[in-house]
Amino acid sequence: MSSTLKIEGLRVEVAGKEVLKGLSLTMHSGEVHAIMGPNGSGKSTLAHALTGHPGYRVLEGSVTIDDVELLTMSPTERAREGLMLVLQQPFEIPGVRSFDLLVAAGADPATLRSRMLDEARRIELAPELLDRFVNVDLSGGERKRAEMVQLGVLRPKFALLDEIDSGLDVDALDVVAQRLVAATTEWNCGVLAITHFRRLLLQLTPTMIHVVSDGRIVATGGPELAVTLERDGYDIFRTTPT
Amino acid sequence: MNAFAESASTFIADQPDAAARRQAWSVFESTGLPTTSDEVWRYAPLGDLGLERFEVPIAPAPTSDSAFATQLSERAGLVVRVVDGFCVSTGELVDGVSVEIDESNESLAGESLLRRYESDTFAMLNAALAPSATVIRVAAGVNVAEPVIVLNESTAGASFPRTQIVVGRGASVTIVEYFEGGADALVVPVSEYRLDDNASLRLITYQRLDASAWHIARTTGFIARDARLHQAIVGLGAHYDRSRNDAELLGAGASNELRTTFLGSGDQIHDFRTRQYHVAPRTTSTLLSKGAVADHSRSVYTGLIEIEKGAKRTDARQTNHNLLLSPTAHADSVPNLDIRENDVMCAHASSVGPLDELQRWYLESRGVSREDAQRLLIQGFFYEMLSALPSELAGLVESDVTSVLASVAVVTS
Repeated sequence: MSSTLKIEGLRVEVAGKEVLKGLSLTMHSGEVHAIMGPNGSGKSTLAHALTGHPGYRVLEGSVTIDDVELLTMSPTERAREGLMLVLQQPFEIPGVRSFDLLVAAGADPATLRSRMLDEARRIELAPELLDRFVNVDLSGGERKRAEMVQLGVLRPKFALLDEIDSGLDVDALDVVAQRLVAATTEWNCGVLAITHFRRLLLQLTPTMIHVVSDGRIVATGGPELAVTLERDGYDIFRTTPT
Repeated sequence: MNAFAESASTFIADQPDAAARRQAWSVFESTGLPTTSDEVWRYAPLGDLGLERFEVPIAPAPTSDSAFATQLSERAGLVVRVVDGFCVSTGELVDGVSVEIDESNESLAGESLLRRYESDTFAMLNAALAPSATVIRVAAGVNVAEPVIVLNESTAGASFPRTQIVVGRGASVTIVEYFEGGADALVVPVSEYRLDDNASLRLITYQRLDASAWHIARTTGFIARDARLHQAIVGLGAHYDRSRNDAELLGAGASNELRTTFLGSGDQIHDFRTRQYHVAPRTTSTLLSKGAVADHSRSVYTGLIEIEKGAKRTDARQTNHNLLLSPTAHADSVPNLDIRENDVMCAHASSVGPLDELQRWYLESRGVSREDAQRLLIQGFFYEMLSALPSELAGLVESDVTSVLASVAVVTS
């Protein structure tokens, strides 16, 4: 089944400051979109606002999956509608194992263990790390792989990746990108990757690239846009802050 | 005369050592109950105690074990049963372990209870009114394979269990002191643990009394050279739950690890006091206290690390973390240090706060419901306490604590 994620006129405030100033974007299942932009342009704000992070206040706008409004929903309900954020710095949850997290998130306990092992193998995460508490005593790279295990088990309709390339070495990046590409065909997962490096995009081959500056999308194009960005930087897209 | 004084007097008159008991009683009478103006009783609602309403039993009342007590007993090599402070069964003999009923009114510190605890009103009541001490001795060099369980059951009225545990040189044992029952009762246990050189005692004190009970407990460990006292104290029950726990590190290389876990709900008060008294050099104490308070409950943690001159290279650490599960719950944390030696390592840390909002969001963003996210975080908070229990008992205690945790409401402000 194909789904549509639609973000319209999204305005978001963080700590009293408007960071997203009317961002709009539409994507479909199975597509890979990338959001690029300089630091402070609002990329991470988008990811956090979409998933209902308590520090982000939506001022205006709409976010829907198949015309179902997400912004009035709790973070739990949004996840159950099929949205999942893979974090740049996932939280440590001492005393809680990934298995129990995933069962509480709705995974079938009967098959969960083998699914986790399978995902760990695909993402090249040492299986014994699955038994650690969520993100506790894991390196930065292992945490991102552990997030990918959750993604593979939970199979969201749309995956938001918040700068997962930061702190990953080239090999790890390859494995993560391959898993995401496979997800787009395995369950038709839509991937929205936030990054300011082109490296990830070489493997992810996005259908669309969106450039964000000062809280808005200022350019949208095909993969060639990444080449332009790498050559000329973000300056040509930069708008004067309002 | 009130019911308490009258029944106490009847009880004492019947005892073989009535004179010593009368002495303890008169200390109690002359000092009376503490008041909240006394700093160490500041948080105790003693005005609501109504001591005069509690009768001192002259014999144990009939009781039946809870399902948990039964399960606990099944895991034991030896079960000692104490009802209303009376040792009713010393269990079946285990090699190297003896259980005796002792009426001597002596402390394991080598002096009378009266002298030892003269400044402690409730301990004086125990000295006057405990039917006897249940003394468990592990012979030198014996490694007791299966846990020893002391099942303390209380019925209505006032009861004064007294337990003394002596672990001989080089011996090792796991002992559980378990408390249940006690609806509308006052339970005042005094426990002492003496560890001879190089002995090891793993001790779990599990307090699961009725929510109407008053529980005012005192424990003291006397730890000789290279001996190790590992204590876990879990307080779930009682209306007012006070537990004072002292460890005296008397021989070089002695160590005490103490983990206290408590959970408050309704209008419970958990009042935990600890004192790690380092006398000898190279002694170690590691204290971790973790508690959660819900509804209108409150907790107090007061810990003192005391280091004598000469206790060189002592390492003493004290940590207390408190979780507030409702805006009307309250936790106080008061760590204290009293150090009279320079060559020591000492650290203390404490925190009081609600569940972490971002951790909760992280779980919710995976599709976990708010309720489940809170439950997972609370279980996670207590995990390190429960996981440190001896393996043969950890599963049982963990599932019991988890079932209590599941019934606690989390209210965010």
